Amino acid sequence: MGLIALRTALIFLALFIVMRLMGKRQIGEMQPFELVITLLISELACIPMADTSIPLLYGVFSVLTIFLLHQLMLLLDLKVRPLKRAIGGKPSLVINKNGIDITELERNHLDVSDLIGSMRAAGYFSLDEVDYALYEANGQFTAMPREGAETEKKGSIPVLILDDGKYEKHNLTLTHTSEAFFDEVLQKQGIKKRKRVFVLTVDGTGKVYLQTRGEKFRTFRVALPEGCTW
Amino acid sequence: MVKMLLSAVLSLALLVGAAIWETAYLNAEFGEVRAALGTLEAKTRDESALPDDARALQRLWEEKKKKLHAVIPHGDIAYIDYWLGEAEGCIQARLYEDALAKIEVLLVICRQLPQTYALTFENIF
Repeated sequence: MGLIALRTALIFLALFIVMRLMGKRQIGEMQPFELVITLLISELACIPMADTSIPLLYGVFSVLTIFLLHQLMLLLDLKVRPLKRAIGGKPSLVINKNGIDITELERNHLDVSDLIGSMRAAGYFSLDEVDYALYEANGQFTAMPREGAETEKKGSIPVLILDDGKYEKHNLTLTHTSEAFFDEVLQKQGIKKRKRVFVLTVDGTGKVYLQTRGEKFRTFRVALPEGCTW
Repeated sequence: MVKMLLSAVLSLALLVGAAIWETAYLNAEFGEVRAALGTLEAKTRDESALPDDARALQRLWEEKKKKLHAVIPHGDIAYIDYWLGEAEGCIQARLYEDALAKIEVLLVICRQLPQTYALTFENIF
């Protein structure tokens, strides 16, 4: 039993570290250690249950070890401040008043399309609709809307045109625009290298959200070519 | 908080207790089987072992394995069953040299099996 308990604890620890390293994308709405437990417990219970050559006590003691580790993790999480971050992670502020915090986004292994997806799920369709947005330690997305954002005219859903310096071909087709059109827009904004652009979105009214690496975001309007509706 | 601490301490105590008990129990049970095997080995070496001696060892093992099934994988028990059956058959046929070889195997298994459940580096990894 001691061997089973120790082996279970080691597997738990390995899975826990991997889950913490994977970042928020993998976690969903659980604490990392809770997800690890969810992954382990069904297998631990099932194998001795189905395989009659393994004593049932093995399953019972592995589950008991998991329970003990869960209680210990909870205790550390609640009582030892410095360990709280290591165990449960910390919230990540991915949008602030300067726009998207690229470093923070990359630290969580997320890209702009993930962020846009999270924003849409939270009811915000444009990146400038919020002053602050963050991923909580459990992976949940929270945003603080910008004052007056609700009253702004919304023509159609903003679409991602440039994602980390690369054009989204599908979205160019969808919006009936071209790379040349947006290259010109970038030039007018004084951006010579497309690679510097971290994100560029455009909505049906011609409102562009543009953020380059290391700079504050900007929004402006462009006259869309004829027939650009979506 | 108290409940959480209490449950953690209780489960830790249970796990540590079970680990200590398991080691002691396996050593004691296999020690007894080893002693009986040693006696049978001596008799086989003298060519004085009788089928009843082999059957007595078989009965002892049957008694032990009822409880051992709860602690060690059933495959390990079947392994001993197999070699014990072979040794018993050889003694009945008075093939003492063959029986001796099989008893040696059984002695090695009974010595090694409790060690495979010990908290050692090679077992953990």
